[in-house]
Amino acid sequence: MNTKLIRTPIAYGPEGQPTGAGAEHSRSVAPTVGDSARAGLGPIKISAKNIKVFYGEKQALHGVSLDIPDKAVTALIGPSGCGKSTFLRTLNRMNDTVPGARVEGRIEMDGEDINDKKVDPVLLRAQVGMVFQKPNPFPKSIFENVAYGPKIHGLASSKSELEDIVQSALKRAGLWDEVADRLHAPGTGLSGGQQQRLVIARAIAVEPEVILMDEPCSALDPIATAKIEELIDELRERYCIVIVTHSMAQAARVSQRTAFFHMGNIVETGDTEDIFTNPRERRTLDYITGRFG
Amino acid sequence: MTWIFLIFMAVFAVLSYLGGRRLAVRRSHGVKPHSRPGQHGLYAVIGVLAPAMAILILASVFSAPIERHLMAAGSPEVVEQLEPFRRQAFMADARRVGDGGQALQIWAAPYAELLPTEGRRAHNIHALLQWGGLTASVIAAILGGLFVFLRIRPDLRARNAVEAWVVGILFACATVAVLTTVGIIFSLVYDSLRFFGMVSPLEFLFGTQWSPQIAIRADQVGSSGAFGAVPLFAGTFLIMLIAMAVAAPVGLFSAIYLSEYASKTTRAVVKPLLEVLAGVPTVVYGFFAALTVGPALRVFFNTIGSWLVGGPLDGLGQYLMLVQNQMALVAGCVMGIMLIPFVSSLSDDIMNAVPQSLRDGSYAMGATKSETVKKVLLPAALPGIAGALLLAVSRAIGETMIVTMAAGLAAKLTLNPLETVTTVTVQIVTLLTGDQEFNSPKTLAAFGLGLTLFVVTLILNIVAMRIVATYREQYD
Amino acid sequence: MTDAASKTGAVSARAEKLKARLKGRYAREARFKWFGRGAIAIALAFLAILLTSIVLQGYTAFYTHSLTLPVYMDPARIDQAYPQGTNFEQMVAEQQLVRMGVADDENGSKATAMRNLLSSELKFIAADRIRAQPALIGQTIPLTTPLSDDAEMYLKGKITRETPENLRRVSDQQMQWLDSLKSQGVIRAHFNSALFTKGDSTQPELAGLLGAVIGSALMLTVTALIAIPVGVFAAVWLEEYAPRNRLTAIIEVNINNLAAVPSIVYGLLGVALFINFLHLPRASPLVGGLVLALMALPTIIIATRSSLKAVPPSIRDAALAMGASRTQTVFGHVLPLAMPGVMTGSIISMAHALGETAPLLLIGMISFVPGISAAIDAPGGALPSLIYIWENASERAFHERTAAAILVLLAFMIVMNAAAILLRRRFERRW
Repeated sequence: MNTKLIRTPIAYGPEGQPTGAGAEHSRSVAPTVGDSARAGLGPIKISAKNIKVFYGEKQALHGVSLDIPDKAVTALIGPSGCGKSTFLRTLNRMNDTVPGARVEGRIEMDGEDINDKKVDPVLLRAQVGMVFQKPNPFPKSIFENVAYGPKIHGLASSKSELEDIVQSALKRAGLWDEVADRLHAPGTGLSGGQQQRLVIARAIAVEPEVILMDEPCSALDPIATAKIEELIDELRERYCIVIVTHSMAQAARVSQRTAFFHMGNIVETGDTEDIFTNPRERRTLDYITGRFG
Repeated sequence: MTWIFLIFMAVFAVLSYLGGRRLAVRRSHGVKPHSRPGQHGLYAVIGVLAPAMAILILASVFSAPIERHLMAAGSPEVVEQLEPFRRQAFMADARRVGDGGQALQIWAAPYAELLPTEGRRAHNIHALLQWGGLTASVIAAILGGLFVFLRIRPDLRARNAVEAWVVGILFACATVAVLTTVGIIFSLVYDSLRFFGMVSPLEFLFGTQWSPQIAIRADQVGSSGAFGAVPLFAGTFLIMLIAMAVAAPVGLFSAIYLSEYASKTTRAVVKPLLEVLAGVPTVVYGFFAALTVGPALRVFFNTIGSWLVGGPLDGLGQYLMLVQNQMALVAGCVMGIMLIPFVSSLSDDIMNAVPQSLRDGSYAMGATKSETVKKVLLPAALPGIAGALLLAVSRAIGETMIVTMAAGLAAKLTLNPLETVTTVTVQIVTLLTGDQEFNSPKTLAAFGLGLTLFVVTLILNIVAMRIVATYREQYD
Repeated sequence: MTDAASKTGAVSARAEKLKARLKGRYAREARFKWFGRGAIAIALAFLAILLTSIVLQGYTAFYTHSLTLPVYMDPARIDQAYPQGTNFEQMVAEQQLVRMGVADDENGSKATAMRNLLSSELKFIAADRIRAQPALIGQTIPLTTPLSDDAEMYLKGKITRETPENLRRVSDQQMQWLDSLKSQGVIRAHFNSALFTKGDSTQPELAGLLGAVIGSALMLTVTALIAIPVGVFAAVWLEEYAPRNRLTAIIEVNINNLAAVPSIVYGLLGVALFINFLHLPRASPLVGGLVLALMALPTIIIATRSSLKAVPPSIRDAALAMGASRTQTVFGHVLPLAMPGVMTGSIISMAHALGETAPLLLIGMISFVPGISAAIDAPGGALPSLIYIWENASERAFHERTAAAILVLLAFMIVMNAAAILLRRRFERRW
């Protein structure tokens, strides 16, 4: 665990165009367009611009902009009710399912606006997987849970292909060794940590490009948490991962980029190490040192 | 007279309250009493009313049997010789004459002369018992009052005593529900045992002939008819199946639409309307079945029959032309309509108990709403929905008015929905509303049927409620 | 680069594959949604058909026709000592034939046909006039009488000329007479006040609902007086006092099961316990009320418990902390706060009891009770059982009255439910 706490610094070679007046460094004050690809981090996968979200009369986000790099973990931190989960749910248009919710602004994924009418939320969600706070395996067998996505999207043309997909998803989620002999036992019978890894396997079985995680470890014990964090670190090599967490230690351990949310705005975005060692904003400092939260 | 007595008791209660309060203040002598004066007053009221009411209830429950016993003990021999049913009627008429009214029946020679004397005797016995009960009650009230007033002292824990009584009364009210069950079981079992003394339970449960009105063979049990209830069970089952075939899909799909698709406004309009459908009394559904649906379906089938006659399906056509108003299909369909809101609201509750996280999980995988419903929600809610449907089945089996008004009386062993069938509940009503003789197997058969119905619905209800409760706990 | 390119290619191929399936998936989605809409449409259509058919069958019962004729009180036919022994219908019919200039045959069949258009009530109307004023004998006075049910059915268009004459109860000639009487203004249509002021009768044109309404009111009074206090107290005990033990668990299971016991079983209990064992008067509102009270009890207990549960524990804690005893807390604070919910639940269960029929039939409310009885311990009627009795009657004129009785019953239920809803809206409190 401790080895993870302080991450080896990643060398960022600013390669893209410098943005904003004083943004010669990798971090900037929100709202901003973050810096682009650096060594170790992929190119910008998602670029959110001036996102506003309303739930009925209430405004939850007041114009948030954030660039999210591919092949990296971006952590969204902030006190509860700050809008970080709301922002996460705009990235796969889950807010569409909430009655009375309204989203304004532009979210580009690979240059395409996902809020465009032409974009189908069903297809979008096949591209953007999501893992929730509480493990929510369906009341079906472990196999059926993982096969759910491939089945509804018609990804497997044969039974053996489906079995291959399930097996590889479970392997990538680090769960295969634990459940290989009981694939047809109910998924709800697993332990909390196993359930959460099952849900991750379920998400990666449809080969998404982005995985959103909404406080994935908040319902788990420390050992299960460690396993999930390890898994996240492995998954980073293939996916663009966005994780909401209320644990700053976790953000420091697993993420490369961090955005600090407060009262529906982004206060500060930057490389995780910088945010935690040398925050630019007073509010960020107060939050990470525990003066409020 | 009862009114005068009740007013007297009320006045007595108020006086004892005031008296108890006064006395508590007077006897306190500057000491701080344990309880407040008003509580002493209530204590006094309980002391007065409790014994009086106890005597009154005992008197009113037992006065009728005692009265009958006394009347029977002193009645002349000719009256004794009457059949029990006639004797009851004679006694009742005697009472009427004794109270200054008219006899309902015209009585022949020896009885007509006896009416006035027997009537006077009945009147006197009744008055004696009534006065006796009321007097005993008043005496009990006075004794209770004396006892209580002697006990009022500053250190009397009047509040605790009053509250103990209150809790006792509350508990007694709660046990009424249990006593109701005991009463149901006892009355059903008692008369059923008498019935099964005349008709063997095996014949009742497995016999396929049901004709309680007439004897089929001379050696028939009780020589009053056949009591094989299988045709009734079959009819009940058939109508239940038709009802569920209507109610289950319509109710379930409405619940799915209302809980997953409908906007707030749609829900706000549709739900109360479904509640109206649920609130319509069953006798109204019966009327609807008998006078609207029945004739309409008959005309429908007759017309189809008239098209088919002469064609390749001539036999079927002939049959359809003879279809009657009273077919199982009519009662079943209307019962199904009645059950739609029941199934729908129960399933709606069940679907809402499925946690939102499962829906979110499915949507986040890129599932459409219908895929989420079919592949996640319904499997998750299946036990609960099964429980809800079982409850609906129990309702369908026990429903009486629709079948009584629309199903008919012919006990036929058939699963053809176009035939007239009869059900357990129809037969209970028929057997108990005709001319009654309380010791004939015909009347007692109603209790045998009632017991069967009670046991079956009870099992269904218990199983269904278990299932639903376990299901709910799973998601709590 | 090649790796990246092939990956992009794979991704877009996959996207195409997903897209291709999308049409079918959305078609299934739309179909499923239409199933749901269809189900709701079916349920609402049933409701609409049910209510419309009853209104259409019943509205005609709210008006009726009466006939006003000059009647010569023939001293030769009226026995002054016993006026109700006179065949007034025959007398009036014959006079009317004379007035219309119709000659009767030797069988008097035309007079019979004319007489059959008049209600038997005519006899009582005329006899009452004579009794009140014997001097009217020998004079000609105008008399107003209801028509017979068959004549009424013709005037309301429920018997038409299209039916062959031998299959209908009103002959061509009678129809012609009625038409001419109507065109002369002798037959007049008006509000059917008899429906609301009379008791049951074997003659449809004289049958009214008042007896049944009074019977139902008496019965509901008995039910409410017993079921509401007992139910509320039982719920208070279960929710506030009951120890968590086996006995309580048994009582709870028992109450839930009682709520689902078929109503006819309560009827059997009523027959066995109240009538055969306690010898309470058969078919009386007292017995009916007792049976309905036992039926309503579980519903009231369940409703009261849920509104007691809704009172937050902080209220109890506050009262107890002030030194109030458990009983003072419950009766002084918790129960008053739960009262709106309790009243709403009680009213709804009373409305339900009002429509309950099956147990009433078993306790004897199936036999004909003429007139109006307001005694609690004498045989009486009730609205739902009257509906059943009328539905079974063979006279066609009872059909419209049955539907009218249903409308009246539904009106009472709507009023009660509306009261419950208003109560809930007015006093609803969210914690």
